[in-house]
Amino acid sequence: MLIAWRYRERNTLIQKLDPRARWIFLLAVMFSVIQFWDIRFLAFFMGLSLMYYLLARLTWKETRRVWTFVLILVVVIIGINAVITGRGGPTEILRGAGHVLWEAQWVVPGVGWTIHPIITVEKIVFALAQMMRMLTIAILFIPVAFTFNPNHYGVTFRRLGLPDKVAFSMDLAFRFVPTLARDFNLTLDAQRARGYEVEKLEGGLLAQIRKMAPLIVPVTINAIVGAEDIVNAMDLRCFGLRPRTWLHELRYAPRDYVLIGFSVLLLVGSILVRALLRVGDLWVPDAVLRLFGF
Amino acid sequence: MERKKWYAFGTREVVYSALGAALYGVLSFATNMLALPAAGNVALRPAVCIPMFFGVAFGPWVGFISGFLGNVIGDALSGWGFWFWWDLGNGLMGLIPGFAASMITDYRATRSFVIADLFAILGVVVGMGLASLSEMWVSGVDLSTAIVGYFVPAALTNIINGIILVPILMVAYAAIVGRTGR
Repeated sequence: MLIAWRYRERNTLIQKLDPRARWIFLLAVMFSVIQFWDIRFLAFFMGLSLMYYLLARLTWKETRRVWTFVLILVVVIIGINAVITGRGGPTEILRGAGHVLWEAQWVVPGVGWTIHPIITVEKIVFALAQMMRMLTIAILFIPVAFTFNPNHYGVTFRRLGLPDKVAFSMDLAFRFVPTLARDFNLTLDAQRARGYEVEKLEGGLLAQIRKMAPLIVPVTINAIVGAEDIVNAMDLRCFGLRPRTWLHELRYAPRDYVLIGFSVLLLVGSILVRALLRVGDLWVPDAVLRLFGF
Repeated sequence: MERKKWYAFGTREVVYSALGAALYGVLSFATNMLALPAAGNVALRPAVCIPMFFGVAFGPWVGFISGFLGNVIGDALSGWGFWFWWDLGNGLMGLIPGFAASMITDYRATRSFVIADLFAILGVVVGMGLASLSEMWVSGVDLSTAIVGYFVPAALTNIINGIILVPILMVAYAAIVGRTGR
């Protein structure tokens, strides 16, 4: 089993940006988009995310798995929402009965629970808005694993204000991964040589989980024993007494300031639009109502 | 043995946070790749015991970073992207068992297992609860969907994995804890 980072250098505009500026942009868009239910605003944010995603130049082959998962999740969640919510959608978003297109009533045999699904025009528009919101956030964050260099997480978050020790902990964690992956493979091979078949664990769920112990315990305990040496070595070198320096230094370029400025503007603008102008709630276009004969 | 304050974050905590996070990330990725058997639609995700155990053994901050960063690493290895609220939920799954650390002196005692398991369950309920409820303002789902669609499947499997594997790790850790001399 090969454990490898999904990140690789792609020579794209996205990867030329300072990682701090990119995190600020991602968080600003996320906190902006979650304020809106109006599909016109959501279309703007979705376009912005899509542009960012396309600039990352990811291939379908490398993102196919995650997209399958995201699309299934979106369909399932919107499906559950449609079936189990009462009067046409979450009451926080939709008020009133709306324009009913279809309704039914089923009783679950044995327990007598009543399921009363109602499909309304408002609910369809809400489902569309919900889908756009979920996809916008997915589009925005899927490139993270593929475009952020794992070796730069520590310095990035240190320069974003995280304490030195926590940032170094992040840095160290990413450096531990290849060693631990090798240890895991060694342990797996050693246990298989003893007749342990991880793919054919028998028994109920509890027994199966318990039988995972021969794999998890040696890897964990070996790592803890080895870590004591690292603690001692770091203590001997007076770790933590003075601020750290970092091998990789980050420097903002003019384009990073532009991105940060745009991100701040976007977030502040979104907050003001919602708070002062009070626009951005669910909007049902007249054309959609006419389409369904209302 | 001299007891540290629960919020202390020295060299030892730095190293064990990093180790816990890397272990959680690698084991999550590796056990996903192994296509483990599952009962019904309840998938086995045994690696969730790592942040809980690191919390119990080394305190709340170590548990939190193990869970939060471990989930980020697991996602980075699998290519899942970045899901802040779920990373935070995983962090809480390690943070809350960390508050049991000061109550545990003997890692082999039944009392310690009970305390660790109770805190692990609480951690899962709070952590997965926060992550699931976050979908209400992120994705706009309602409370019942957040509970049925997100909370129940995530919390159930994590609780089962945690209450079985955390005591096993505690027993194994008891064998080496004396050797460290700390």
